[in-house]
Amino acid sequence: MTFDAIVVGSGMSGGWAAKELAEKGLKTLVIERGGHLEHGADYTDSLSPWELENYGLVKEAEAAEHYGIQSQCYAFSTATKHLWVKDSEHPYTTPEGRPFMWIRGYHLGGRSIMWARQSYRLSDMDFQSNARDGHGSDWPVRYEDMAPWYDHVEQFAGISGSREGLPQLPDGQFLPPMDLTGAEKDFKQKLEAAYPTRRLIIGRCAHLTEAKPHHEELGRIACQYRSLCERGCSYGSYFSSLSATLPAAQRTGNLTIVTDSIVHSVIYDPKTGKASGVRVIDAKTKQGRTYEGKVVFLCASAIPTAQIMLNSKSEAFPNGIANRSDAVGRYLMDHLSGMGASGTYPGFEQNYHSGRRPNGFYIPRYRNVTEPTEGLLRGYGFQGGVMRDNWRRGLGQAGVGPEFKASLRKPGPWRIHLSGFGEMLPRPDNRVTLHPTRTDKWGMPIVHIDVSLGDNERRMVEQVGADAKEMLERAGATGVSVRKHYGGAGLGIHEMGTAHMGKDPTKSVLNKYNQAHDVPNLFITDGACMASGGCQNPSLSYMAMSARGAHYAVQFLREGVI
Amino acid sequence: MQSTELAIDRRALLRSAILLVGGSMAGLPGEAFAQGKKLTKARFFTPAQYSVLDETAEIIIPKTDTPGARAAGVPSIIDDLMANWASAERGANFRALMDDIDRRALAAGGASLRALPPARRLEFVRAYDAEKIGAKDPVYSRLKELVLTTYYLSEAGATQELRYELVPGKWEAWTTIGPDARAWAV
Repeated sequence: MTFDAIVVGSGMSGGWAAKELAEKGLKTLVIERGGHLEHGADYTDSLSPWELENYGLVKEAEAAEHYGIQSQCYAFSTATKHLWVKDSEHPYTTPEGRPFMWIRGYHLGGRSIMWARQSYRLSDMDFQSNARDGHGSDWPVRYEDMAPWYDHVEQFAGISGSREGLPQLPDGQFLPPMDLTGAEKDFKQKLEAAYPTRRLIIGRCAHLTEAKPHHEELGRIACQYRSLCERGCSYGSYFSSLSATLPAAQRTGNLTIVTDSIVHSVIYDPKTGKASGVRVIDAKTKQGRTYEGKVVFLCASAIPTAQIMLNSKSEAFPNGIANRSDAVGRYLMDHLSGMGASGTYPGFEQNYHSGRRPNGFYIPRYRNVTEPTEGLLRGYGFQGGVMRDNWRRGLGQAGVGPEFKASLRKPGPWRIHLSGFGEMLPRPDNRVTLHPTRTDKWGMPIVHIDVSLGDNERRMVEQVGADAKEMLERAGATGVSVRKHYGGAGLGIHEMGTAHMGKDPTKSVLNKYNQAHDVPNLFITDGACMASGGCQNPSLSYMAMSARGAHYAVQFLREGVI
Repeated sequence: MQSTELAIDRRALLRSAILLVGGSMAGLPGEAFAQGKKLTKARFFTPAQYSVLDETAEIIIPKTDTPGARAAGVPSIIDDLMANWASAERGANFRALMDDIDRRALAAGGASLRALPPARRLEFVRAYDAEKIGAKDPVYSRLKELVLTTYYLSEAGATQELRYELVPGKWEAWTTIGPDARAWAV
C-alpha cells in the first residue's frame, strides 16, 4: 500500500507528526506496534479506590515474572497494568552492573497516555550548551527557530502555566495557571528571600484549566481535578495522542492507522537515494508486509527508533540507514531522577486544600544560570509540592485503637518534597546497539542498552540532594530526609539522543529540519533527535520538533526536493 | 477492558457481601460474632489465623462513631489479597505472623488473642504493635500498611471516616477548616 507519508509510532511525537502531515493534505499512515486503545472506553478513570482490583496491587508473582522493570514506575498498578509492556515479552540486555530501566507502553497513543504532563520549553541556553562546553554536537537550531513551534503546539495541546520572564525557561502560550497552596506560597517567599536568584513557580502542565473552542471541538473539557491521569482521562482534560492529535488527524480524512504492526526496518532505494517505505511484522500473525511512502517519519521513541535504523541494513548503509556518522544509537541520555528531599512544613493548621491538583510547583534551573558552579556542568530543576498529609502518615507509626483512629481522621501536617531532574551530558559511549545473536519472538534483533554515569552526573546527583536539603532547612522545614539515591538510568523515562541533530553530517544523524543527513525523505522527530537534553521534561520539545519537521517535510515534498 | 469490568463486578459483589455480613455483625455481642464469623469464608488463612487477623485489624482500627476495620471488610479483603496478590513467601510470612501474634498473646496473657478479655486484647496488640513498628519489622509493618490502606480506601473508610470525592470538579488551593475537619482519603 502506498501513502504520502508514513509515521512510525503513535505516541507524543507520532501523533503530532500525523496531525500536521494530514492537516497539510498528505495521505498519512500511522503504524503502531501495540494494540488499539480506545479513548475513554479503555481507561479506568471512573473507578474509586475500593473498586480497583486488589486495591491497585498487581499480583506479586505476576509483577516479578512479567513486569520486573515496569513495576518500578510509580504509575504501575492494576488500574494501569494494561498500559505497560510485559518485560518478559519484550526483552533487552544491559551490561553486568549497569542496569537500564526501560519503562514502556505499546498501544495506540504510547506513553502520551501515562506521561506526567509537565511541559517546559528548552531555552536558548540549552540549544547553545553543547557548543559552549564542547560535549555532544552543536544544535543546528537555536531557540528562535523553535519558539514559533512551541507557540503552535502549546496553543493546540493546552498548556497551563504562569508567565515569569525567566531566560532559562521561556514563557509560552499558557492557559491559566493552577494555584499554589498557601504553604507553597510561604515556601516560595522564604526560598526567594534566602536565594535571591532562585524562583519557585507553579508547574506548567498539559491540562486544560480552561477549554477553548478548539479543544471542545475535539471533545475535550476542562480538568476536573481528579488526578487519576495515568489511568487515561475520559474527559480529554490532559493532552494525549488519543485526546487530541490523532482525532485531529482523523477528521481530515487523510489518516490511516494500523495497529499490531511492528516496524522491522526502513527500506532504502539505492536508485533514488531515498527511503521507499517500511517493512512491518504483523504482531499477531508474524507475517511480513511492506508499506510505501514518499516520506517516512520515525517517531517510535528514542530506543526503538535507533533499533529500527540499525536494523535497516543495505549495501549503501551496512551499519543501518542514515548512519554514515556512526552516531545512530549513541549519545543516549535520560534525566537524572530520584534524588531530592522531603520534610514537615510547620504551621497552617487551619488551612487545607480541596480537589486533587495534578501538578506541583517547579524550581527552574539556577546552577550555571544565575549561580555559576565550579566543577559542575549544566544543571537541574526541581519539581515539588507542599500539601497536607493524610492517613498515610500512620503507615510507619506505632499506635492502635480509638486514639490512633481519631488522630488519623484529622489532616496531617503540611509536608514538603522536592524532586530533582538533572541534565546528563551527551556521551557517545552511552549507546544502544543490536544484540549480535538474540531476537525477540517476532524475529527482531533485541537491543543492548549500555548507559553509565560520568563524573559530572555523579557530582550532580550529590549536589541535587545537598541543595534540596539546604533549601528545605533554610525555609524552616523539620525532619528533613534526603534522597541522594539515584533511581537508576531509565527511570527518568526521558530517553533521548540516539539519532541526534547536528551541523556536521559526519558526526550527527539529522540536520536542522530533523531530516536525515544521509536520506533526505527520512525524518526523525521523537526523543532520538535531541542533541542535548536540558533538565526540563522533554515532551513539549518533541511536540514542537514533530510539528516543525512535518512542516519542512511537506514544504520539501511540494518543492520536489525530496 | 473486559477483564477489568469483570473484576469490578466481582469486587462489587464481594463488597455487598462484606457489607451484608459486616452490617449484621455490628450490633451483636462478641459471642454471637463467633457464630457470625463462620459466614465469612476465609480462603487463605486457617480459621484460627483469620480470627487473629480479624481481631487485630479491628483493634488497630476499631468501630467508633464510624465503622471499624471489620465492618469495612478489611480482614476479608486482606485474606483476598493473600490469595490474589501476595507471593508465596509473603503469604507464608503472614501466616507465621498470625501464629506469632496468637502465641505471644498466650504467653503474655495466658490465652489466645480472641480468648483474652477485650481490654487485655487491646493492651496486648498495642504493645505488640509498638514493639514491631519500633523494630521496623517488615512483615508486621506490611500488615499494618494493608490494614490502613484497605480501611481508608474502602468505601466506608474513605466516605464515612474520611472524605472522598471521585470528581472534585475544582481545585481550591487554600481553604479554611475547623478543628473537626476530616482529612481527604486521597
